[in-house]
Amino acid sequence: MIDVRNLHKSFGDKQVLCGIDEHIEKGEKVVVIGPSGSGKSTFLRCLNLLEKPTEGSVVFEGNDITKASGRELNKIRQKMGMVFQHFNLFPHLTIRKNITLSPVKLGLMTQAEADQKAEELLSRVGLSEKANQYPAQLSGGQKQRIAIVRSLAMNPDVMLFDEPTSALDPEMVREVLDFMKQLAADGMTMVVVTHEMGFAKEVGSRVLFMDEGRIVEQNKPKEFFDHPRDARLQEFLSKVL
Amino acid sequence: MNWFANAWEQFRLAFLEKDRYEAYLRGFGTTLEVSLFAVLLGVALGLILAIAKYMAANHKRFRPLGWIANIYITIIRGTPVYVQMLIIYYIIMTSRDTSAVFAGVLCFGINSSAYVAEIIRAGIEAVDRGQMEAGRSLGLSEMQTMIQIIMPQAVRNILPALGNEFIVLIKETAVIGSIAVLDVTQVARNIGNGNYRYLPPLLIAAVMYLAVVIILTKFLGMLERRLAKSDRR
Repeated sequence: MIDVRNLHKSFGDKQVLCGIDEHIEKGEKVVVIGPSGSGKSTFLRCLNLLEKPTEGSVVFEGNDITKASGRELNKIRQKMGMVFQHFNLFPHLTIRKNITLSPVKLGLMTQAEADQKAEELLSRVGLSEKANQYPAQLSGGQKQRIAIVRSLAMNPDVMLFDEPTSALDPEMVREVLDFMKQLAADGMTMVVVTHEMGFAKEVGSRVLFMDEGRIVEQNKPKEFFDHPRDARLQEFLSKVL
Repeated sequence: MNWFANAWEQFRLAFLEKDRYEAYLRGFGTTLEVSLFAVLLGVALGLILAIAKYMAANHKRFRPLGWIANIYITIIRGTPVYVQMLIIYYIIMTSRDTSAVFAGVLCFGINSSAYVAEIIRAGIEAVDRGQMEAGRSLGLSEMQTMIQIIMPQAVRNILPALGNEFIVLIKETAVIGSIAVLDVTQVARNIGNGNYRYLPPLLIAAVMYLAVVIILTKFLGMLERRLAKSDRR
């Protein structure tokens, strides 16, 4: 589904990604971990071209998105949901409008259809009664669940999560992770950058460890956590587990 | 008692005698008219400049546009509006039937646009970067994200500063008498010239400026509170 070849990214003189080759299958739940500054967020943001790679290609469902025109790229992004660390809900719009804005503006649904869809998704996360409120009235955990719902309203083929629980108070992490687990169980293809090792173990079909702009090690979660081979990964795990 | 009687007599002479208040009101109308159209022109030009600067900052191929905008803004902000007004009236708009009011509107509009451009640019930049990313990640185009998501939030940053710009502009137009526009300041001077008592008419003009500034300030406060609706918890 996503094919990454020889991906490089530098900001000025600083090389953040130094050649990444990775293939993500439909239905996979790929969890990316690594120390801060290892390039894992940049890698994720290159997948939907929020960062433009300096070199290499990202092929999504057969289209090389690094070569796509602006219009094609917008189309492709409709199929790639993204969830941000800081939610990035639209503060000037109600929750319902947050969810329905893009499907309606992009002509994928009528307002009525989008409202219906929003209603379904909201009731699924138990936030139906918040539809007419504004983001500022919600807790962090609620905001992040709404942000996920907003992406889901576009019926994406893959969901990208950029440290979705890092900005949350500890007691709210659970509600977000539970919702993500549900999504995983429904078969959604997911790429998740996170520091939640428990989530990686439980939900991940594959775990990648990144350090200094490279994927240093990857494996099935059990093998990955029980028998890490790379010295840097061993050191990293000894610190976080 | 004598002092009060004297003060009242002076006020009467300056304001009521021979229906002079009509002249003030006409002058004040001209002041407001010039300010209003100048601010509209300023916002229109300022918006274009701000868009040019935004495009230049975000897309390499629009960089020359940014240079032009910067040169324009530097020159306009770096020279006195009084000098700009004299240049426009005496050197550029020299044809006989040029209306001085129109020249004034043009001058203050152009002058204001440089400040408005910076106000709008700053207002857009103050919107969190994540908003653009969220819009784009949902598949919205840059233009759609700008219109649907960035601008509505930027307006909240922009409006108060724009209101201030309007207030500053109203006061700045007081120099427009130099190009033979009968604004309220010029009316006051003319009336003072009649009997060489300048203080009462100038005070009357000052009070008129003050009144409209206070009213506008109040109105802006109300507007800001309305715009803050989505901040409520």
